[in-house]
Amino acid sequence: MTFGDAVTGNGTLAPAQDRLAPTSAGPRTRTARVLRAVGRRLLAVAGVLLGAATLAFGALQLIPGDPVSVLLGPSTQASPRVRAEITHDYGFDQPLLVQYGHFMGRLARGDLGISYQLQRPVSDLIAEQVRPTVELAAAAIVLAIVLAIVFAVATAGRRSLGRTLAIGWELLAASTPSYWVGLLLLTALSFQAHIFPVSGDDGLRALVLPGLTLALPLAGVLGQVLREGLDAALAQPHVVSAQARGTGVVALRLRHALRHATLPLVTLAGWLIGALLGGAVVVETVFGRPGIGALALSAVSSRDMPVVTGVVLLSATVFVTISTVVDLLYPVLDPRLRKV
Amino acid sequence: MRRSLPVRATILSAAAALAVLAASCSSSSGGATVSDGKPESGGSVTYAVDTEPTSWNIHVSPQDITGEITRNVFDSLVSVDEKGGVHPWLATSWKSTADLKSYTFTLRRDVTFTDGTPFDAAAVKANFDHIVSKSTKSLLAVNLIGPYTGTDVIDRYTAKVNFSKPFAPFLQAASTSYLGFYSPKALTDKADQLAGGGSAAVGTGPFVFTSYTKGQQAVFTRNPAYKWAPDTAAHAGPAYLDRLTVRFLPESSVRVGALTSNQVQVSRAIPAGQVSTVKSSGALQLLRRDQPGGSYNLYLNASKAPFNDQRVRRAVQRGIDIATDVRTVYRNTYERAWSPISPTTVGYDASLKGSWPYDPALAGRLLDEAGWTGRDAQGYRTKDGKRLTVEWPLLPAQYVRDNRIVLGEAIQADLKKIGVEVSRPTLDNGTYVERAYGGKVDILDNAFARLDPDVLWALFSSASAPAAGGQNATFLADDQLDQWTEQGRATADPATRISVYGKVQQRAISLATVVPIYVPSSAVGAAKKVQGLTFDASTWITFHDAWITNS
Amino acid sequence: MTMAASTTAEPMTGPLGSPLRRLAGVPAGVLLAGAVLTLIVLAAALPGLLAGGSPTAIHPADALRGPGAGRWFGTDELGRDQFTRVVHGTRPSLLLGIGSTFVAIVGGAALGLLAGLGGRAADELLMRVADVALALPALLLALLVITVTGTGTVNVMAAVGLAFVPGYARVVRAEALIVRRSGYAEAGVTLGLPRAALVWRHIMPNALAPLLTLATVGFGTSLISASTLSFLGLGPRPPSPEWGAMLSQSRTELSTAWWMGLFPGVAVTLTVIVVTTVGRYLQRRFTRRGTP
Repeated sequence: MTFGDAVTGNGTLAPAQDRLAPTSAGPRTRTARVLRAVGRRLLAVAGVLLGAATLAFGALQLIPGDPVSVLLGPSTQASPRVRAEITHDYGFDQPLLVQYGHFMGRLARGDLGISYQLQRPVSDLIAEQVRPTVELAAAAIVLAIVLAIVFAVATAGRRSLGRTLAIGWELLAASTPSYWVGLLLLTALSFQAHIFPVSGDDGLRALVLPGLTLALPLAGVLGQVLREGLDAALAQPHVVSAQARGTGVVALRLRHALRHATLPLVTLAGWLIGALLGGAVVVETVFGRPGIGALALSAVSSRDMPVVTGVVLLSATVFVTISTVVDLLYPVLDPRLRKV
Repeated sequence: MRRSLPVRATILSAAAALAVLAASCSSSSGGATVSDGKPESGGSVTYAVDTEPTSWNIHVSPQDITGEITRNVFDSLVSVDEKGGVHPWLATSWKSTADLKSYTFTLRRDVTFTDGTPFDAAAVKANFDHIVSKSTKSLLAVNLIGPYTGTDVIDRYTAKVNFSKPFAPFLQAASTSYLGFYSPKALTDKADQLAGGGSAAVGTGPFVFTSYTKGQQAVFTRNPAYKWAPDTAAHAGPAYLDRLTVRFLPESSVRVGALTSNQVQVSRAIPAGQVSTVKSSGALQLLRRDQPGGSYNLYLNASKAPFNDQRVRRAVQRGIDIATDVRTVYRNTYERAWSPISPTTVGYDASLKGSWPYDPALAGRLLDEAGWTGRDAQGYRTKDGKRLTVEWPLLPAQYVRDNRIVLGEAIQADLKKIGVEVSRPTLDNGTYVERAYGGKVDILDNAFARLDPDVLWALFSSASAPAAGGQNATFLADDQLDQWTEQGRATADPATRISVYGKVQQRAISLATVVPIYVPSSAVGAAKKVQGLTFDASTWITFHDAWITNS
Repeated sequence: MTMAASTTAEPMTGPLGSPLRRLAGVPAGVLLAGAVLTLIVLAAALPGLLAGGSPTAIHPADALRGPGAGRWFGTDELGRDQFTRVVHGTRPSLLLGIGSTFVAIVGGAALGLLAGLGGRAADELLMRVADVALALPALLLALLVITVTGTGTVNVMAAVGLAFVPGYARVVRAEALIVRRSGYAEAGVTLGLPRAALVWRHIMPNALAPLLTLATVGFGTSLISASTLSFLGLGPRPPSPEWGAMLSQSRTELSTAWWMGLFPGVAVTLTVIVVTTVGRYLQRRFTRRGTP
């Protein structure tokens, strides 16, 4: 997914027209329009979720090798009778469409299947690993926002120096692999300087380096959007008049302009969640932290498809939910977009 | 009561054990923590390990780590010391028939599982039958239990275990946690949850398996009713520690970092590069023990080209600069292996030392003789236009221990010099097992912890073929190896056993189906305030006798 | 993972700033980037020119030495010279990036054409599929593909390529729709022009420019994604000196051998920076319309 898409609000769930179409009709028709827009949105959401679930089912079928052997695992001692039992239990002997139906039915009940490797429900495994990842994500969001604000305030509105710094920083942030940033931070601040702990997930201190590593690429993108928004806001009449009144540089940005610059950030919420989850895979590996990312990676190495598809479905659901909430909330946040 | 290895073998292995202990005496303590002062009750210890069990089902799992951790939860019939002597545990006494086809055990009467079920002969039968049952799909225990046919419940506390063939290694096998006992109720009610550990893992041991969070930790709490420790233990009653938390930290730097910062108090698998860090720390101690059983060996698949030609096998065996590679990768902390079994195994043949050194010139001549005389653009040998390439698969990095990937790269570099290409694809567990057990790859590597030299049967007998669930990765059926390993199983006479097992080691090396690389060694780091840690005969750290000083 | 986004609002300056220094109309920064890029391509094509010795030969006596004379980047635990390995690692690393970008372009072009030319139903279906793909972070999508295909160099190229197909598909689809809605299509059909000619003579040339410029900038992201998968152990097999794999292996020794974790990472970052810089410049210079 490209950042460009997120910024222009292009394409995932709602055609751009919906948000900006003017109307000249009365309240009753307006309600009808809103309801229809909401209905269309929900349909799109359902479509994406259905598509993701179908993708998951397809992936399960595409794994090479006999599914019974994959389920049985390493043993080669299973008798034909045992294999027949498993085939029947899992419904592998039924036509594809029937299997698909069962799969969807189980999904609707929240049953994500059983891990091939551990023989435990995938939903249990995911539930156990959610907390550390959520903590990491929260730390990363906070750090990313702080860094983005600092960056934007420092570079907005200035002509050549600001722009140079901005472009340079943005290029660097986009070109540096986050796993390497993690390794560098680990080497410098844990191994050499012993400031931060090397291991796992105990306490706030252990969150700093992983959170920072996860936050940096996000801060790059957020910072750029914020800076552009700030540039635009600084040109607004009310800000210019504040400047004429002698308001200081920083106060100008923080108090008068920032509020107006933050609105476009909201559209990035969906992308942000996706980037957090993808980044968590890397950061949890580098720092030896448990979590959804580590769970996903170990499942990929073992080709434990139910776990992988479970994480994929979780990610799609979260993204879709957040994007929808943001899309519906946007007119509330920006009065300019409310229908007259 | 019959012991499996009387006096002469005991002296021999004691001498070997002493020699090893003497050699490793440079560390602050040899095989156990220095115990000064009285044990203190209470407290909890966190133990960091490098691998995580993929299955907690002790009757199924072939993993070393599963056996080690669950040793705290499941007890066995007997206990074995590092010299091979057998001691009572859940069985107070035993006798076997002269033909070694049947062992009768008299059991303790005061043992209960933690769910309240009493331990009795019926429980023994239920467990042993469970191991061999087809639906269990055991990967290791079924081999350890050998030619088991069944258990007779003579009376409530007497069990007679029967075999179809004479089976000398049974007592040693029965001492492992793999032949440990689940509560019969758990075996019936929770049969499909055993792999997940936790509340399904109901045993008689000093700790209760309280909870398991995949990827993070497993928590064990003291079993207050425990009073049936083996007499190899330092005390008979319940464990001193309230809680044992096992944390899974596969990253060695993270693990050692956790140890040095006291986030964990004990850590296993201290890598060679960090041994000096632990030794030089004032708050830490290093415990070392060479692991008995199979050395870390390369097994060459003799059933397919190019290793079906013995000359090519010998070339590879002599074409790897093993001593230098082991010294470099492990920083002088591991020894190069000369025999397929390690020096602390009973029956180790010391005459193999120095008998097949690195000789790349010889390797080159052998490959020329075998017809691989051409060379391609990258310098690899060819025959009839085909490159000499062998496949040696890798498991995903999180399952590979001991820096073996780097060791593998050193071996690849050595073999490239004599013109052999080694390809190392990374396979997921399922594909790896399927290709490895199916004999489709050329080289496999493993180390296999066992005290009894019967491990040689597991490694080289054709009856131990992978298709039948065994560990013979050479895919070669050799009559003499079969005959000698069966002989070793069938007799308890130590002189015969040492003689035949010596011959097995010699022949395996001369057939060049195996290339021993290094002697696995257990390096455990612990905080000095943790006392009473001991290595059992399998070099597993046990916590029943451990305590933590609060001062 | 971020995309090296381009903001067309910026005037034509590179990271080294102001329109001060230019040569033949090309800013100094872009020239520098171009020079470095040439060096990198040279390293990929003829590594032996830049670094003598073999990247896989071991020298146990020299294990774990820091950077010094004759050992610019230090050595690893087997005594292998890190400078030689980084230089020889250019080819496998670049190939991963090029391969995945190629897969993304070809896949994107195919799907985009199908969507643009194939009728309303095909268009709707494919755009819904793209929506699903875009609902997932690219890395997760790539991991899903790897789970099906297994690990290894080619599989990483396929996985990363597939993850970026939707973006490229959109570009081609947009061009296809333009052509289709214009008079060309009907006129062509009336004149008996076969569909293939429509595609090759009208759509692809117009789509090519934005596609290629998207690719030069997207190459950076593809390279980072592919090297991430390699770092996670899913890529080229040992003893390949690919940069992501080198960084993955450096972790065991990082507490003492910091140089092992530095130089391969610098190589990746530098490559992405120069390709992106040159790419953006070309994009601004040669695109008639802005990026979609």
